[in-house]
Amino acid sequence: MKLTDTKLIDELANGAHDGDGDKVILVEGLSKRFRIPHEKKATFYDHLLGIVKGGSYSYEEFWALKDVSFSIGRGETFGVIGPNGCGKSTLLKVLAGVLYPESGKVRIGGKIAPFLELGVGFHPELTATENICLYGAIMGLTRREIEGKREEILEFAELKRFENMKLKNFSSGMYVKLAFSTAIQTNPDVLLVDEVFSVGDEAFQKKCAQKIDEIRRAGKTIVFVSHALGTVRDLCDRCLLLDEGHVVMMGETEDVINDYMRIMETAKDKK
Amino acid sequence: MWIVEYRELIRILTVSDLKVKYQSSVLGFTWSLLNPLLLMLVLYFVFSNVFRFDEKNFALYLLIGIISWRFFANATMSSMTSIVGKPSLVTKVYVPRQVLVLSSVLSSFISSTLEFMVLVPLLLFFGVDLSLNLAFFPLIHLIYLLLVYGISLILAALYVYYRDLNQIWDVLLQAGFFLSPIVYPISIVPEKYLSYYMMNPITTILEMYRKSLLYSQTPSAASMVFALAAGGLMLLVGTLVFRRLERKFAEEI
Repeated sequence: MKLTDTKLIDELANGAHDGDGDKVILVEGLSKRFRIPHEKKATFYDHLLGIVKGGSYSYEEFWALKDVSFSIGRGETFGVIGPNGCGKSTLLKVLAGVLYPESGKVRIGGKIAPFLELGVGFHPELTATENICLYGAIMGLTRREIEGKREEILEFAELKRFENMKLKNFSSGMYVKLAFSTAIQTNPDVLLVDEVFSVGDEAFQKKCAQKIDEIRRAGKTIVFVSHALGTVRDLCDRCLLLDEGHVVMMGETEDVINDYMRIMETAKDKK
Repeated sequence: MWIVEYRELIRILTVSDLKVKYQSSVLGFTWSLLNPLLLMLVLYFVFSNVFRFDEKNFALYLLIGIISWRFFANATMSSMTSIVGKPSLVTKVYVPRQVLVLSSVLSSFISSTLEFMVLVPLLLFFGVDLSLNLAFFPLIHLIYLLLVYGISLILAALYVYYRDLNQIWDVLLQAGFFLSPIVYPISIVPEKYLSYYMMNPITTILEMYRKSLLYSQTPSAASMVFALAAGGLMLLVGTLVFRRLERKFAEEI
């Protein structure tokens, strides 16, 4: 179950009394395990067959996250970096509520908008306007809220002329523009971003960067996962370095990135 | 509460499900009505010429049974795949997963309500006295919805892990069709099996539908309570099972 109720927001805000600060995201001892079975059993038939053959349920265990703890304050832009397969995306999915952790606590105070992938739920047979409504509904907005934002979204995406065109006739550029604009306008308290900023042409990218900046200044919290260390350096106040599911380091972006580069260098030398 | 928060998504998904079902055409709905009518004609022929039951208005008796059963069979069969059928809404973003099951069940519920509404002119045509007992219909229909939704939650969650569940359920549905009083009156059930037979809540619900629509009788309080208890219990069990199994949906899909 995802915790987004107002009681929790109050609770998190009141955490200031224990010197906890104004925390929007609180993660404590988070661990996520994946079981990779040697033989995938997807039906009753497979299971029955397994029992008859007497084969055991053997599987490989893989800890994508191990005892991860951190907290993010309101209005902070927080970066998560690390090599491929270090658990960044798993972490983001746990925060989004898509994956359920094996142990540990995850608390999120406020409305959360996961940008794990752009255009989730978009349907090719629906028009641009209908897709905006659909996406808004997926984000849990009411009909009136969506109606109020529709013009703004189409304006931002520069697709006003195509509002009644079916999505299947959109170019891929138009598609991502619409997706990004819709997602960004849902007015969340927390944004989870998995490297989706490089969207559209250069002018649109600039516009996106401006929008993100605007959101940051409005006091929203952003969790940013990326390989692009340059962007992380520009955007993030603090950073978390993950490797093989463990927290290697957490602190000021500049320090963490420098350390990360040094670790990478030594790893390369060893090889 | 997720139902309130995500009501817009539930509405959109239900409507699009109905659109797909009826292919956005008038004939689409006509076809879905013809199906129970044709089945009724076949069964009527067989059971009034071959078996012969002393049931007044046997054609309507059959039709009410068939329409009621269709809601159960269609809703459980289609909502079973509702989670697996929308993988991006499970793995890429968080929406309460019950939303997917509920909207699928609701779309079948609306179809069923329409089928019952077409039944009314037929009742008048065959000279059935419609009474105020008709007012019990919405209540019975809603209790039935609880029961069907509860069972659908369990099936949809299990289907994520066991993809041949639809084959098994298909067989169980066929057994259920003959273990419920759809094509025959309860009076032919042997005395010694009757107490087991009546444990099936769908039997009770079918009888209540017939009382309110066909016989101008008030459904007994006992059967109301029994059906409501069965519906509530299924909803509770369904929710608990779903909550537990939901945790690994994103990994198993």
